[in-house]
Amino acid sequence: MKKHILLLLALCVAVSTAMGQGIMGGHVTGNFQIDAQTSREDSVIGSKSLPEIMHLNARGDILYTNGNFSAGLRYEAYLNPMEGFRPEYEGQGIANYFASYKTKDFAITAGHFYEQFGNGLTLRAYEDRYLGIDNAIRGFNVMYRPFRGITLKGLIGQQRYFWDQRGLVRGIDGEVSVNELLASLAEAKTRLTLGASFVSKYEATSGINVDSYLDGFKLNLPANVGAAAVRMDLSHGGFGLQAEYARKGDDPCDLNNYIYHKGEAIWVSASYSQKGLSANLQAKRIENMCFRSVRSEKYPEAMYINYIPAITKQHTYAFLSMYPYQTQTDGEMGLQADVIYKIKKETLLGGKYGTDLHLNASVITGLDMQPVALSGLDTAMTGAPGSSGYSSDFFKAGDLYYADASLEVARKLSSKVKLAATYGYVVYNPVVEGHTGDIHHNHVVVADLTWKLNRKNVLRFEGEWMGSDSKYDGEDKRSGDWIMGLVEYNFTSKWFFCVSDQYAYNDGVGNYYNLSVGYTTGATRIQFGYGKQREGIICIGGVCRTVPASNGFTFSLTTSF
Amino acid sequence: MKKTILSLALLFMGVVAMSQNATIPSGISLKTLDGRTVESSVIQNDGKPIIISFWATWCKPCNKELNAIKEVYDEWRDETGVKLVAVSIDDARSAAKVKPHVDGNGWEYEVYLDQNQDFKRAMNVVNVPHTFLVNGKGEIVWQHTSYVDGSEEELLELVRKVSKGEEVEQ
Repeated sequence: MKKHILLLLALCVAVSTAMGQGIMGGHVTGNFQIDAQTSREDSVIGSKSLPEIMHLNARGDILYTNGNFSAGLRYEAYLNPMEGFRPEYEGQGIANYFASYKTKDFAITAGHFYEQFGNGLTLRAYEDRYLGIDNAIRGFNVMYRPFRGITLKGLIGQQRYFWDQRGLVRGIDGEVSVNELLASLAEAKTRLTLGASFVSKYEATSGINVDSYLDGFKLNLPANVGAAAVRMDLSHGGFGLQAEYARKGDDPCDLNNYIYHKGEAIWVSASYSQKGLSANLQAKRIENMCFRSVRSEKYPEAMYINYIPAITKQHTYAFLSMYPYQTQTDGEMGLQADVIYKIKKETLLGGKYGTDLHLNASVITGLDMQPVALSGLDTAMTGAPGSSGYSSDFFKAGDLYYADASLEVARKLSSKVKLAATYGYVVYNPVVEGHTGDIHHNHVVVADLTWKLNRKNVLRFEGEWMGSDSKYDGEDKRSGDWIMGLVEYNFTSKWFFCVSDQYAYNDGVGNYYNLSVGYTTGATRIQFGYGKQREGIICIGGVCRTVPASNGFTFSLTTSF
Repeated sequence: MKKTILSLALLFMGVVAMSQNATIPSGISLKTLDGRTVESSVIQNDGKPIIISFWATWCKPCNKELNAIKEVYDEWRDETGVKLVAVSIDDARSAAKVKPHVDGNGWEYEVYLDQNQDFKRAMNVVNVPHTFLVNGKGEIVWQHTSYVDGSEEELLELVRKVSKGEEVEQ
């Protein structure tokens, strides 16, 4: 009910503003999306038959803009939620609404909003519609620029939890662009931006009873927990250095097993680039940085206030992204390096059209967590509720979680044929998904060939191979050695047809065949598919999107206007 | 209650039904590659057409599109005066890689970071790549999602029309 009243208010403001300005104009824009799937039982790929036959996710965003004013609402329906989406989404209704007024130097939003402070170490309210993540904050968000070069932000609100709002989040952020603030540095080659943020959450502690490691004692939980961060962005010509450092107060929660342990995160990125050559090196160390509106939340994607990015490369080829790395917010450290080099055209190695090289390597490990002595007990252990949990040396690495290395060589063979060949090596520890088992080592080879027959007809072939030391043991259906083929035919930018098959030929199970047809006109795209599909990012028919696992028919419609 | 909402929503639509072509939304914060925060109305081209292309470092079709246009960008600019604005939707995971990616690929576009995806939402972008064509008056006259090798030639035809002040069909 409260929801509806707020919505009405937003609409009234929208309408009256439109009229108040004497302009009956303004613009309505929006987008709709419908995804549906049927599912059949298949014990090999692990899909179940559904009593309701079909699953459907749909949404429509309507946005009204008139000068500096805008208002919007989003209707969502999950009837029933698609595979990979939580059952709590089931139902339909208005999931998001806001009204905002924005000028160059001032902005205010009432209702739902998304926001990020710095790189998100203290706060990132965001949405990923394909992964079922939406931690939008409902409340007020204000931005103000008192002087040129200074940006201040403040917000307060509750986070979306499926069809509910929970927790209480308050935050402030300030950023100074030194070159804009000081006129004498306006044209300097060295550019510097500094920022700082503070975020606090409140959660009533009454009603939460957690046993301490000491028999008969309950934990005295902090109702307010704060997190602060400082950041910088420095560049000088082709050199760039970005860094952010965050700390968080004691925040016993389900994920860290209710330990009293300060959170700490550091992220550094250094890069050098010039035309045709660039290198980027990133490092991070995260310790106990799970920062959530509801401490007892068990879903790994819900109620996060902050965001700790995986710095590993986002692969999009099926076998390279088969084991995507997931950030371990309780503790991890890692390095990532990327190099892009273009070999000039008309050279021996570059060929007639030039050759692109893209090299990437990363390694992520856990922290070296050592047991701590427990007060009141004559013992030492890690992770006892109510204790400080563990101690860890800042520079000492723990277990290997993930490592990868890949080299992509892309070259135009003729005016009509382009080839991209990739070799990748992925080392994956199932513990990052909460499973036990041996570390996998996978070799992946990909050949991706585009053949432009003429202006209207384009063919694309993709062949992939994965050799793995993992064996299917009844649990992980990605195990074993795989081979894949894909053929895609595009007729202009309007039609596409795609056939693909992934087949486990050794030590694995599964045969994922898929057929899809799509039609795109302007910003409207319709796609039908049939077959078996893994969840993951798929780039066919000229767009990239994340898809859920499916077995049967799929339908997807997106349109923007 | 539901009826009231519905009728208000209808009224709301009615009020704006007469709207013209949408323009580039203003007041939205974007980041430049050297770390400055700017506001979306900086996207201008002195009365000449603008292509706004939403992309991400990990998106293969996006990279194909921007690499294909790179080869002919100087010619396009000379002929039509068009400017390409590439808006990266990379989030914290890959945002720091955007500048090296742009330089390494030798792109000479005007590039902005839309890490919080405010601009993406305001422009109703669902998937990438998503390309908009803006005329000299700042109105969005055409948009398209997806890129297939060769589509840049279709885009050039449209840019030519827009640069001459002709109407284009969606």
